[in-house]
Amino acid sequence: MNSQISRRARHFLAHNFITRHRQLIATTVAVFALIIAALLAAAAAQDWIKTGTGLGVERIRLAVPDFKASNQDPKNADLLRVFNATLWNDLDNAGIFDLVSKSFYPVEVPGNPAEVKFEAWNNQPTNAAMLAFGNLGVNTNSMVVQGWLYDVKNVTSPQVLGKQYTDAATPEAARATAHKFADEIIFRLGGGIAGIAETQIYFVSNRSGHKEIWAMDYDGENQHQLTHLNTISLSPRISPDGSRLAFSSLTKGGWQILMYSMDLNRLVSFQRFGGTNLSPAWSADGSRIAFSSSRTGDPEIYVVDQSGGNIKRLTDVKGPDVSPVWNPKTGAQIAWVSGRTGLPQIYTMESDGTNIQRITDEGYAVSPAWSPNGQFLLFSWIRHYGPGVLGGDDIYIMDIVGKRIVQLTHQAGRNDFPNWSPDGRHIVFQSNRSGSEQIWTMLADGTNQKPLTVTGSNTQPNWSWK
Amino acid sequence: MEANAEIFFEHDRWSRNLAWSVGLHLAITGAILLYGFFGPGGHGSAWGAGGGGDAMGVTLVSTIPLPANPQQTQNIVANESKGLSQSQPKQKEEEPEAIPIPDKNAKTKPKPKATATQRKPEPQPEPEEEANNVVPFGEGGPVSGPYGVFSANGAKGGFGFTGGGGDFGNRYAWYVRVVQQKVSENWLKYEVDPRVSDARRVYVTFDIHRDGRPTNIQVEQSSGVPSLDQSAVRALARIDTFGPLPSDYPGSKVSVEFWFDYKR
Repeated sequence: MNSQISRRARHFLAHNFITRHRQLIATTVAVFALIIAALLAAAAAQDWIKTGTGLGVERIRLAVPDFKASNQDPKNADLLRVFNATLWNDLDNAGIFDLVSKSFYPVEVPGNPAEVKFEAWNNQPTNAAMLAFGNLGVNTNSMVVQGWLYDVKNVTSPQVLGKQYTDAATPEAARATAHKFADEIIFRLGGGIAGIAETQIYFVSNRSGHKEIWAMDYDGENQHQLTHLNTISLSPRISPDGSRLAFSSLTKGGWQILMYSMDLNRLVSFQRFGGTNLSPAWSADGSRIAFSSSRTGDPEIYVVDQSGGNIKRLTDVKGPDVSPVWNPKTGAQIAWVSGRTGLPQIYTMESDGTNIQRITDEGYAVSPAWSPNGQFLLFSWIRHYGPGVLGGDDIYIMDIVGKRIVQLTHQAGRNDFPNWSPDGRHIVFQSNRSGSEQIWTMLADGTNQKPLTVTGSNTQPNWSWK
Repeated sequence: MEANAEIFFEHDRWSRNLAWSVGLHLAITGAILLYGFFGPGGHGSAWGAGGGGDAMGVTLVSTIPLPANPQQTQNIVANESKGLSQSQPKQKEEEPEAIPIPDKNAKTKPKPKATATQRKPEPQPEPEEEANNVVPFGEGGPVSGPYGVFSANGAKGGFGFTGGGGDFGNRYAWYVRVVQQKVSENWLKYEVDPRVSDARRVYVTFDIHRDGRPTNIQVEQSSGVPSLDQSAVRALARIDTFGPLPSDYPGSKVSVEFWFDYKR
């Protein structure tokens, strides 16, 4: 009987069937589609990590043997010297490594992956967890550096990083390459936070005869003068994108905020205001600048656009209001110093001027600095201020949520103007403990304090954002 | 007409048979899915490389011995890898005080270098406020399956990367270490209700995407203390990134099960 039903009739039957049982077919197809999707999802093998707190995380033991020369070029030796010293310094200063002392290294150091002997590195006495090694060679005026980072406790697949850099065969390029490689290692092992080896510090120095704005590498190298105004210039603040530097300067029209372009290497125009205008501060997105101005007689905090327009006043209480800083994480709060109750104290407010809260309750507190993750406030504090009281300015750090305070410097002498590094692990500040005002740096827990400058009088450091 | 009557007859037969067929297929598929989710194996622990740790030795077929009786070992370590913790150095034996009688004919041995004894003091891990029965990383107690099943021996915690985490954890131990450190750094213990002095573990799961962002933060097993659970979730929410996943890792994300031990 079926054979008698022609093809056309069968198609007609099928079509009829589909139209009559449209709903049943639709739901069946939908159900099957869902089932197949679920099967596919389950089939994607999921990788799991199970771990937790209390497992004793300590600093990574990192071994950094000297890089070797990859060929016989005579220029290698000088470049290697600069490169190795810079790389060691960067990793030592990072604050997250425990560099294994070179006296514990095995006699043979590797220059490329084939030469690595794992047992020599992960056993006593070296006991390293990570190994950074590589080679450097000059090839007709260009320098090629190869660097690896190995997990020496994982013999089957040790490579964490493998990089090659090509640059000019000069000591500056060798230094820059070492900074780049160190930053890569710090980025990988430090949890995605970029290293600071390529950052700059801007500061005030009087070694030219006048207080001018200077810049240097984060490790104190390459100190050079930026402004040549032959007057007093203070409180440099670099913009988040590094293109412009705002500072206050004593011009013929009084203290004004001036803008220096890092790209053009000269001053660019910025709005002038009446009164005394000091301490500019960039918001985290670079769109606004907060500063202190006494254009109405009493110094108050104002906010303007990055070109100087749209001025808005934030504070209106009698008493000096100076040194504003923005919360770099949210961009929605400002901390500043106010003398409205007498001695200067630190306050915070929302960036529209509301919700004013007092942070310090005694003494003489100045120079707030907000950490990049928005959790901590640094400031300089004379906790027990008064005639005959011992103790000078010290740097303190406060956890904003819990309001707990820790003292970071314990020297006699004045420690002032603290400023955070962009990775939130280092602090730069000025100190006169050596007899003259110099720029010092330390880790965020107060350890490893060391000077960056020695000549002249150097003050008011500001760390770049990247 | 006749043809029409046959058509209707065909329709009836089709739909009943079709319904049976669909139902049977659904039942079989459902059974397979249920077995896959709830059967033995758990969170993908049977996928991929089994066992983790060192490779197993290969022996020739002809020399395979009979299966040995299972030996009880005293070894409490999950596998032979040293993990990232430092082993304690062996105590240096004192050189005997005896002065050797000089022998005219004997060769004089050079004295062992004094530098070997001046061992750089091993940097101590930062003391945690928690219990001092903390097990160093990687040297955990006996391996166990999904949470909660600890055998005694006093050994606490320390999964290492067992079972499901096998492949990623063994290959990228340094990344797991970064995750641990960041979460521990961002956990503000004072957010927990100050009246609590001790609590069960809270297990939180989340995914880490390719760029290192943690997402899908969920409390897998509560500790019973809501403020502790909240502080654990907030610790993870505070983290922007753990750093990009290792570039030669093929997956698009990794799942993490993280536990928080609170002890005031």
